Amino acid sequence: MSIIEVRELTKSYRVFRKREGLMESVKGLFHREYSEVQAVRGINLTVEQGEFVAFLGPNGAGKTTTLKLLSGVINPSGGTATVMGFVPWERRNEYRRRFALVMGQKNQLWWDLPAQESYRLHQQIYGIPQDQFDSTMNEVTELLDVKRLLGQPVRELSLGERMKMELIAALLHSPDVLFLDEPTIGLDVIAQHNIQQFLRYYQEKRRITILLTSHYMKDVAALCKRVVIVAGGLVQYDGSLAGIIDKFSGNKIVTLQFGDADRPSDLSRLGTIIDTQWPKIRISIARADVPRVLAEALRDYVIEDVSVEDPPLEDVIADLFHSVA
Amino acid sequence: MSSTPQPYQDSTTHLPDNWPERLKTWWMVMQIALAERLAYRGDFALGTLMRFLPIITQIFLWGAVFNSLKSGSGDTAKLGGFTFQEMVAYFLLTMLARAFSSMPGLASTIASQIRQGEIKRYLIQPIDLIGFLFLSRVAHKAAYYVVAILPFGLVFFLCRSYFVNGFPPPYIFASFCGSLVMGFAIGFFLEATIGMIGFWFLEVSSLLFIFMLFSFFLSGHMFPLTLLPESVLTVVNFLPFKYLAFFPAAVFLQKIPDEDLPWELGIEAAWVTFFIIVCRVMYARGVRRYSGFGG
Amino acid sequence: MATVKTNYGKVFMTFARNSLIRDMTFRANFVFQCISSVSWTAMNVGFYLIIFQYTNSIGEGTGWHRDEFFLFLATTWFINSIVQAFFMSNAEEFSELIRTGGLDFALLKPIDTQFLISFRRIEWSSLSNFVAGLLIAAHSLNGMATRSIDPHVPTFAMAVLYVFFVACGVAIMYSVMICLAATSVWLGRNQTLYDFWFYITNFSRYPMEIYNRGWGTALLGLFTFVIPVLVVVNVPARVLAMPLNPRANWELPLMAWACLATAGSLAFSRWMFKKSLLSYRSASS
Repeated sequence: MSIIEVRELTKSYRVFRKREGLMESVKGLFHREYSEVQAVRGINLTVEQGEFVAFLGPNGAGKTTTLKLLSGVINPSGGTATVMGFVPWERRNEYRRRFALVMGQKNQLWWDLPAQESYRLHQQIYGIPQDQFDSTMNEVTELLDVKRLLGQPVRELSLGERMKMELIAALLHSPDVLFLDEPTIGLDVIAQHNIQQFLRYYQEKRRITILLTSHYMKDVAALCKRVVIVAGGLVQYDGSLAGIIDKFSGNKIVTLQFGDADRPSDLSRLGTIIDTQWPKIRISIARADVPRVLAEALRDYVIEDVSVEDPPLEDVIADLFHSVA
Repeated sequence: MSSTPQPYQDSTTHLPDNWPERLKTWWMVMQIALAERLAYRGDFALGTLMRFLPIITQIFLWGAVFNSLKSGSGDTAKLGGFTFQEMVAYFLLTMLARAFSSMPGLASTIASQIRQGEIKRYLIQPIDLIGFLFLSRVAHKAAYYVVAILPFGLVFFLCRSYFVNGFPPPYIFASFCGSLVMGFAIGFFLEATIGMIGFWFLEVSSLLFIFMLFSFFLSGHMFPLTLLPESVLTVVNFLPFKYLAFFPAAVFLQKIPDEDLPWELGIEAAWVTFFIIVCRVMYARGVRRYSGFGG
Repeated sequence: MATVKTNYGKVFMTFARNSLIRDMTFRANFVFQCISSVSWTAMNVGFYLIIFQYTNSIGEGTGWHRDEFFLFLATTWFINSIVQAFFMSNAEEFSELIRTGGLDFALLKPIDTQFLISFRRIEWSSLSNFVAGLLIAAHSLNGMATRSIDPHVPTFAMAVLYVFFVACGVAIMYSVMICLAATSVWLGRNQTLYDFWFYITNFSRYPMEIYNRGWGTALLGLFTFVIPVLVVVNVPARVLAMPLNPRANWELPLMAWACLATAGSLAFSRWMFKKSLLSYRSASS
């Protein structure tokens, strides 16, 4: 059985007109105006054990809502899901012991206390035996290079360091499934990189299943072979990163470096000009047309250099998001 | 829209220095305060009504006490010069007096403005911080009264049987109103003075707390001051706290003998003057000290 | 993996320890809170000392003479200080979390959510009133034991029952608090709701006999049988101080009712808590 199975998972919210004050609230008990927001419209997903899957999508696409549904934090409006055989929103203790959710920029640790005090609490709550606790702590703090920070109050740490501490808290009880919601948001490049390295190493070593949401391409490209694009509350694509371009992009980007001193005036017939930095021009050309256009260009002009590339992944995905919105 | 950037003028913290402008700003503050109050009027009316709830337990408590007085019970038994009915009326009146004299957040606002350096604004401009705060309090209180008049009125109407002597004669009522207004002034300048301490000490909240404690106990809010033993009462009578709750209530209930009334009101006026002076002096000194720090 | 069980006792100890560490890092504030709590208590003592200049007992024939009444007061402080230390800030935070959608972290942990929410934080400084209560109680008990007419020394049974009923009182107050906090999920933020708690518990601070006149009997009924706050202080205080000797015939039934009311309140508040979780919506991120 797959470790995560999701069928037609739906979540819609009733957004009530905001009520301020006691009198309004009491009135609100009898009559409420609302509108429906469909956060998730029927997601289907199957994940096998040991996979590292990325959820990519614009804000409001339903990625975080899906993770929260799978964590049991909220109840769905329809559909089913099982993780490791459990129904998440039943919130059984046996289930909660075996997974972890980390949300970027959200702090679970005690603010004024050093992280290690929070970890002790964690150990008590999860009932982690001392030797297992010690060895996991050693391993993870070593990998993330935060041993010296354990005794410092959490509020004194930088954003990147705090994120690492949150990650450690999530891994102390050796979960089999890890949900990461925008873990590198707001972090500087180095911190992002560190966390990415760590996640990749840890996942490979422990073969845990990870679901990661992000809107940073770098996270995704660095870590995941499988990408699920979620937009408008639905799965728009489920496959490899490379496949996205093939499926969604019809164009290639051709860069021509001209040898002539004069700039021709009829270049627009070759394709859509993206930008010009004479003597270089970048043109977007439909895939099927590339050989023909190249041949024409080489015949009609003096060209010193040619390169043909796929459009940047970000652009393709951004276009996809736009088309769905 | 002019092309030169206008200096940022936040009308809630900046008072222009000519009178017509000042009045306009003050009127605007008043309107905003009123709008705020009216927007939450339901919530607010309910909250104000609820503030009278402890009076219910007080009525029962004092009722039980009056039932078993050492000096003999009955309708005419007196405690500190008050019969049971008068006692209840007393507590209702202190609620009213407190509506005038309590200044929530005044001292802490001043202290935090000093601490956060917002005072600088007032140093650069020829603005009178105290005058401005005073007028804005007046505006807020006025807005408060407009909306509170209904719940207060309701409670007083329901409890009218406790006002055995009915409405007092005009000269007493005038004195009562005068004592309320002066109570407002004392309340304001006393707390403002405490806020001024922020120029010298960073932590005003502990001092403020001790003040609140004394104020609560010695203002007559908890019990009529005449219940205190003779020796203590003599001392307390010299303190300004009684004007915050006890004095106006005592005036209304005609507990102040007629011949003493002008004298007492005079002393209260003297206290008002005293606190205005102290507050201004401290402000001037504090500002001098503050600008000496540079930055 | 072997089935692991959470040791709730150990978790609680860790909560206590973490709160203590945190309170000690803000030591000046801690001392200040202690002083302010005790000051209000001292003022109340002063107030009642003044009242007892003019009367011998609170209420005619109730038996609440000075020593008995101060024992009653001490009981209010025991119960209130415990509720404030262990539950007040947690209930306030719960109200905030459930309203703003910040409860996620609690729902992820493999322990009972109500337990986690109720015990997370302990305000150690509120226990200063407990100590004040001990002093007052000691003084009163001494007074009652050494008086010339009809001296009273509580038996061991009374002491045990006292502790038991103080615990019941704490449980009832806790239940009222949690119910009020849970309503935030439907009624939104409400300061008025907190004042409400204060006003309700205000009724509990006096011997219930004072309400026994006129329309007060309606209040007596309401706060004994519907929102049983009158039972909180009155029952344990009566057990220990024995204002009436021999005891009134309604005292034993009242004690039995106190037990029922405690169980009922706890059950009701648990139900309210679970219901509010169902309506919980996580914050959008």
